[in-house]
Amino acid sequence: MEKILDKKRLGDWVDALADYEVLAPAWEEDAWGYQPVNGPIRLDHPNTKQSPKRLAFPQREVFFTFEQIKGEAPRLTQTLPEAPRHAVFGVRPCDGRGVPRMDQVFNDYVEDVYYNTRRKNVAYVGLACNKPPNANCFCLSVGGSPVSTDGLDVQMTDLGDRYFVKAVTETGKALMTAAAGVFAEPSAADKKQLKDMHAAAVAYPQRAVNDPDGAPAKLKANFKSPLWDELARACIGCGICTFLCPTCHCFDINDEVQSKAPLKGQRVRTWDNCQFPDFTMHSSGHNPREGTGARLRQRVSHKFQYFHENFGMHQCTGCGRCITECPVGIDIIHVVNKVAANAA
Amino acid sequence: MIKLQDIRDTARDMLAKGEARAVIGYRRGSRGMLAEPAFLTRPEEADELVWDPTCFHNLSLYLVHDRKHLAHARKTAGAPVAVIAKGCDARSIVVLLQEHYFQREDVYIIGVSCEGTGVVDERKLAGHLNGAQAISAAFDGDDFVFTTAEGEKRLPAREVMADRCLECCSPFPKEHNLAFGEDKTGRQLEAPFAALDRFEAQGAGERWDNWARHFDRCIRCFACRSVCPMCYCDECVVDSITFPVTTATTAEEKASRIRWIERSAARSENITYLMTRAMHLAGRCTDCGECDRACPVNVPIRLLNNKMEKEAREQFGFEPGASIGGPSLVASFLDNDPGNFIR
Repeated sequence: MEKILDKKRLGDWVDALADYEVLAPAWEEDAWGYQPVNGPIRLDHPNTKQSPKRLAFPQREVFFTFEQIKGEAPRLTQTLPEAPRHAVFGVRPCDGRGVPRMDQVFNDYVEDVYYNTRRKNVAYVGLACNKPPNANCFCLSVGGSPVSTDGLDVQMTDLGDRYFVKAVTETGKALMTAAAGVFAEPSAADKKQLKDMHAAAVAYPQRAVNDPDGAPAKLKANFKSPLWDELARACIGCGICTFLCPTCHCFDINDEVQSKAPLKGQRVRTWDNCQFPDFTMHSSGHNPREGTGARLRQRVSHKFQYFHENFGMHQCTGCGRCITECPVGIDIIHVVNKVAANAA
Repeated sequence: MIKLQDIRDTARDMLAKGEARAVIGYRRGSRGMLAEPAFLTRPEEADELVWDPTCFHNLSLYLVHDRKHLAHARKTAGAPVAVIAKGCDARSIVVLLQEHYFQREDVYIIGVSCEGTGVVDERKLAGHLNGAQAISAAFDGDDFVFTTAEGEKRLPAREVMADRCLECCSPFPKEHNLAFGEDKTGRQLEAPFAALDRFEAQGAGERWDNWARHFDRCIRCFACRSVCPMCYCDECVVDSITFPVTTATTAEEKASRIRWIERSAARSENITYLMTRAMHLAGRCTDCGECDRACPVNVPIRLLNNKMEKEAREQFGFEPGASIGGPSLVASFLDNDPGNFIR
C-alpha cells in the first residue's frame, strides 16, 4: 500500500489511531526523545538520543512477585506486562533494523514472553533519511540503508510538503487503513520523486566501516591483540554506549525485597552493560574482563563477530550513538577499522 | 595566548629524556571537532597534541586509573606521569594529593591557563550552528572560531562556554610544575554559583518538580561517576559486587543483605545514587563539570555538587583544591565551627 500524505494532515492520521498510544520525537531537556503525542508533531528530528528499544525491552521489567510466610512455601505470581498498543513515529531506518535483531535474541533459545508481549503491541512508523542526520551515521557500511524498511511497519519519506507513505507489514497497512480518508493516491510524479530522493539518500557520503564482511575473521584473529588496551585507554567504563544502542540487550536479574516479614518482593530484570567493571565479576573476586580493553573488545566483537557467527548478520546498525555520545571519544568505526587493518 | 608548539616541545623533551613515563594530554579524535584524551609514551607522538575549546576532559581521572593499574599489577611508579591540566583539573589533582591518592613527585603538572575563556558547551554550540556540524574549534582571544562545511563561524566565547567556565574564578592552574598562558585568576564572567542561584530562585515546589523530573530521567549509566576523578573508590555503594557469596551463603543471607540502591532506574533509587554521590563529593568537587557534560540525558548534576560547594564556602570558607597543605573539609575541625553540636 502506497499513499501520499499532506504534511498538514499528519495530525489527522495520528488522531485516527485511537487504538494506539502514539509516540513521536519531541525536543525535551535539550535532546530528542520519544514522547506521547498530544498536539502537533513535526518529524524533523535528526535521531533521538535514546533508541526506541525500551518500548519492547524496558530498562526495568518485573518478572514475578514473591511472598513467603515463615514456615510456608513461597508463593510466586507471574506479572506479564500490560503494555498499551504503541505506534511510534519517526523511527529512523537504523533503529528499525535494530528491531529484528532484538526479536532474534529474545526468541532464539527461549521465547521471552515479557519481550514478546510488549513487542507485538508496538508498530514502528519509520522515517527515511533523505541525508544522514548525524555526522557519525554509517548504516550503509553495515548492510543497512537510509531508506531501509527492515523492522518497520510503515515507511514515510519526506517529499517536502508531503510524505510518501508505504505500508511494509500488515500492521502497517492497518495503521494506514485506520485513517484512509487522510491519504491521497501517489501520482507518477510522486513515485518518480520518491525514487530520486531514495537514490540521492543512498549516494550521500557517510562514514564507513571499511570491510564489514571481513570484520568477523579479523576480529577473531586479533582477540589477543594489545591494540584493544590501546584503543580503550581512555574508556571510563560507563554505560552510555550500550544503554543508548538500539541492539544492546544484556540484562541482570535481581530480587528486590520490599518487606522482610513477611518476605515480599519482586524479581526484576534491568539493563546491564558489558562496559561496567562488575558485569563479569565472579563471586570469588576474579574478573575475567578486568580491563577496559577486554570490555571494549567484548562490545565490538559482539556487534561485529559473535552476533554474525550466531545469526549471520552484524548486530550493529550504524546509528552512531555510541560514537557521538561517548564522553571520551571511543569510536566504534575507528576501532573496527584499526583492528581489522592489524595483521594478527 | 598559548602556543601549542610549546606544549608539544615540552612533551617531546620529557619523553625523550625519560623525565616522564607518559604524557597525558589531548589529541584530535576521529569524530568531528572533538578532542580526546591522548596517552603519549614516545617523543615522536608529541605532535599529536592539541589545545582547543573542546579539551573538556579532566585528565586527572587518568592519574587515578594509572594508580589503580599500578596497584593491580603490583608495580611501582618510577618516573612521574606528566599531565596537562586546566585550572579546575589542577585543583582536582590537589584534592587527590590532599587525600594521599598519590604523591606530588608522581605527577608532573603541565598547567594550561584557560585565560579569558574556557571550554565550549556542545549543547549551547548546537543552538548557534543550526544543525551544521563543526569540524574544528580554536581559541582566538575572547572568541571561539569554529569551522563547518559552510565555512568559518566566529562566536564570542561567553555565548557558548560551559556554565562552570563562566563562573570560574581560577582559570589558571595554581599548582603546576610548568604553566602556559596568562594568569587570569580572579576573572569571572558570571558570579560564582550563578547557575545554582538561578535554580534556587525558584520556589521549593518548583525545585522539587524539577528534580523529580530529572531523577526520573536518569538511566543509571554511571557516566557521572565513571568520568569523575574523585569517584575513585574501589567499592561503591551502588554496586552489587561487595557482598561475598560462597557456597555456604544461604538464600536468607542473600535476600537480607544490605542493598542500599537497587539496580532499577527508578526515582527512589536514582535519588539515593545521585544524592549519595553529591554528599561524597562535598569539599572535593572542583567543578570541572565532567559529570554534567557526560550525562547522556542532560541531568544538571553540576547543580547538586555546586550546592554542596556553596554550603562549604558559606559555612566554612572552604574551597576545594586550594592548596595541598590545606585542610580537607570533612577531615578538619575548626574552633570557631558554626555548629554548636560539634564543640
